[in-house]
Amino acid sequence: MLDRLRNPWSDNRAELTLGAVSLLICASVIGMIVFVFIRAWPIFEHNGLSWLGPGGSLKTQLENMQATSVHPPASAYHLRAWPIIYGTIITTGVAVVLGIVIAVLSSIFIVELAPARLRRVAIPVIRLLASVPSVIYGLIAMLVLVPFVGNHLISSPQKTSVQNSVQLTGEGLLVVTVTLTVMITPIMIALICEALAAAPRSWREGAVALGLNPLRAMLAVTLRAIRPAIVAAAVLATARALGEAVMISMASGASFFTPNLSHGVPIFLYEPLRTLASTIIDFSEGIGAPALDSTLYAFAALLLLSAFVLSIGGYLIKLPLRKYQVRA
Amino acid sequence: MNRYRRLSVALAVAGVLGVAAPAAASAATTTVTISGATASYPLVSLLAQKYVKLFPRKYRFKIAQGGAQIGINDVAAGRVTIGDVSRDPLPSDPAGLVFYPIAKYGICVVTNKANTLSNLTPAQVISIFTGKTRAWSQVPGATATGTIDLISRTSVAGVLTSFQTLLLEGKKVSSLASELSSEGLLRQAVENDPNGIGFISNYGASLGAVNSVSFNGVACNQTTVASGQYAGIARFYEVTKGKATGAASAFIGWIESSAAARKIISSQWVPITQ
Amino acid sequence: MSAFVPNFQAAPPPSSKRGQRSSPWTWRWGDRLVLLCAWTAGLGLCAIAAAIVIYMGYRGIEYLTPSLLVTRPAISTSQAQTGGILDPLIGTLLLTAIGIALAFPLAVASAIWVAEYGQVGRARQAFARIVESSIEIVAGTPDIVLALFGVAIFQLGIFAPLSFRAEGGGVYGRSFIAAGAMMSLIALPPLFVATRDGLRAVPMHMREAAFALGKTRIATIRRVLLPSVRSNIATGVTLGVSRIIGDTAIVVLLLGKTLHIETQGSTPVLGLLRGTGSSLTSYVYDNSPAGEGAAPQKAYAAAFVLLLFVLGLNLLVDRIGRSNAQSTGMSITGGVV
Repeated sequence: MLDRLRNPWSDNRAELTLGAVSLLICASVIGMIVFVFIRAWPIFEHNGLSWLGPGGSLKTQLENMQATSVHPPASAYHLRAWPIIYGTIITTGVAVVLGIVIAVLSSIFIVELAPARLRRVAIPVIRLLASVPSVIYGLIAMLVLVPFVGNHLISSPQKTSVQNSVQLTGEGLLVVTVTLTVMITPIMIALICEALAAAPRSWREGAVALGLNPLRAMLAVTLRAIRPAIVAAAVLATARALGEAVMISMASGASFFTPNLSHGVPIFLYEPLRTLASTIIDFSEGIGAPALDSTLYAFAALLLLSAFVLSIGGYLIKLPLRKYQVRA
Repeated sequence: MNRYRRLSVALAVAGVLGVAAPAAASAATTTVTISGATASYPLVSLLAQKYVKLFPRKYRFKIAQGGAQIGINDVAAGRVTIGDVSRDPLPSDPAGLVFYPIAKYGICVVTNKANTLSNLTPAQVISIFTGKTRAWSQVPGATATGTIDLISRTSVAGVLTSFQTLLLEGKKVSSLASELSSEGLLRQAVENDPNGIGFISNYGASLGAVNSVSFNGVACNQTTVASGQYAGIARFYEVTKGKATGAASAFIGWIESSAAARKIISSQWVPITQ
Repeated sequence: MSAFVPNFQAAPPPSSKRGQRSSPWTWRWGDRLVLLCAWTAGLGLCAIAAAIVIYMGYRGIEYLTPSLLVTRPAISTSQAQTGGILDPLIGTLLLTAIGIALAFPLAVASAIWVAEYGQVGRARQAFARIVESSIEIVAGTPDIVLALFGVAIFQLGIFAPLSFRAEGGGVYGRSFIAAGAMMSLIALPPLFVATRDGLRAVPMHMREAAFALGKTRIATIRRVLLPSVRSNIATGVTLGVSRIIGDTAIVVLLLGKTLHIETQGSTPVLGLLRGTGSSLTSYVYDNSPAGEGAAPQKAYAAAFVLLLFVLGLNLLVDRIGRSNAQSTGMSITGGVV
């Protein structure tokens, strides 16, 4: 009886309560997906899937949506969002590819090459970089990188050569991609370092015994063994890069321009752009207009879908790599 | 132990309910929500701050920004009580909105401090902002060199609409221009770009970090706006759905009639009835 | 003397001392290049981090005075009278408190269920998989999407008591509780993963000993397991807090962005929860040259305070990690995967 007083919870009741809480979480997540897609539905209804493609000026389309207030006509829902999808793909793609290379090199540095004292400094430093808020990255991008690119890298003839199609002010692809890379690399380093540390030492020692130098042994053996972790890191980093709204909104030039490769490489890097997430936050004040509301939710639905596809893709890529038994 | 725990839980629940019940009843203070133009945000914020100081515990103000068009949309949909608008009513505005003018302001063309351009004719302004003239070398009096960087506002801005109507003779700003979402941003952009040119309210131009350009020989400042000499004079409006009632009516009435409000408006802008 | 000594004359003889690593000077060029790149990458990142902290420190200290931290922000046409950052500071702390208060029970409860009850039986395992996947989805969702979700939910009529109804009938939908609820979703994954992994790391014999003594499962969890994963939970909470503090998108969309903390209604606690305000992140975003640009110097000061918070939290995680006996010493993630 004493036990009953001290432990009023029976196992069944406890399990049901805890299970109910877990159910609550699942329900919220499902609710989120449902809500976002329901609010995004009008855009799909009026445009089908072609709203993902190019056509017309995205700027005028969004302006039309903002101008309509309570009951917008069907023409207000016309949307062709390719410029920002292209912007998202470019920034995320370049940032993740650069990030993986830098992350792998830095992880090798931290785990293998750094002397112990330097390693003790490097680990907290990487953790710090990973937790700096995006607002601060945006502030620094705007205050340091943009003036540097605008005043020192972009030359006057370059500006003049494209002056009739776009304005180059320093804010644009280069600044955004560099900052995004710095933002996502620490996350990848953290995961890859853990995996490197957990990889079987005996494999590497075997390689060294066969005459490889330590660095080569690490590259040839351990790196291949931790491929699942690299994939997991890339997936996580891509998800973070896709969803980055604040920093890009601050440093990207906020223009619906599509950076044009035909302008030649240096100029292409200086051109302004917008991504899905930065457009959402830029236009978030206008969420009252019904057409714009659906558009923003459609962008959010696309982001949600890509995060989902990414994680499934990552899982599928890791499947055949399971044989290395390195936990990722 | 168990009994005490149950008792304390019951007390906590009762306490929460007791606290929540009055909250369900009407609040002692009414909240006035305002959203809209960024150009009039400093003015409306100061007015609201003064009003709350003069009549404490009567009204509470929540002022958001977003742009004049956002204000109009929000007011029309009933999401806010008052909309701040920095342009005259347009035929495309929803029906049923009432515009109360509260102040006059001037729209100044501004360039970077290093670019000591002193005057622009109407034709030059049109040609620059519509993108026909692209190089500073083609603008007499300009000390900047290179490409002209046009800096403009996003489409929801009332100042943009007023600027196009008053100073561009109805033409639209070129799509080459960078579109920034607020006055402050535009000013910062012109401050930092030696080749930049943009347009902001006279209050923004007076903050000192940019070079204000005369239009057709008339300087752009509070005096010329007050005297009516300057060409680009627009109005700030407070917009309500239907005639203003209750809190909105009290606030707007106070702005239009009280001396304290007039003093605030006269500090940087121009009262409607001069 | 063995007949099986292999003939290694093809390879260069090992250099002097036993156990010494091969020097890079004997490596191939490609390897040396990689070595150089690795050193550059590692040192470069450390340099970038140092540069960020130093730059923000320099700019922040220029404008940060102790009075700034305790003065309320004010609206003024002159820069010198725009007051301090007290309200955004309180806003950040309040949001963190609400976020963790909501996330803690949810995360710990579901982690306990998944780790303890969700292992036996097909149905339970399937549900455990679903719960873990849901939390992974939340972890991978951008914060801007969560913010939009919050906007969609809290503008429904049913949630009107959580903010207020504007005079035209629309639900305002922005308040501390609205932002706090979405913040809890942000903090949920790190806390869940930390608790679950901590519980999994507790050796089976501790549970078995408790069962042998007649304890029920839930009693074991309460009395034996939870105390032993205290440091994991602490790490998870700290990580959740640092994610909440750094988040801007949710605050920008869901907190109403009023300069002062405005309570809604006259009841003490509930009024504050239903009220609007700002946080350090939205203050920086709005006042920086990217926002309305009204007070850029204050933005630097606020950003510096934010950075100090983040630094402090990082030190805390370090401290907890070091005191945790199970730390591998290499662990720099406590994150999601």
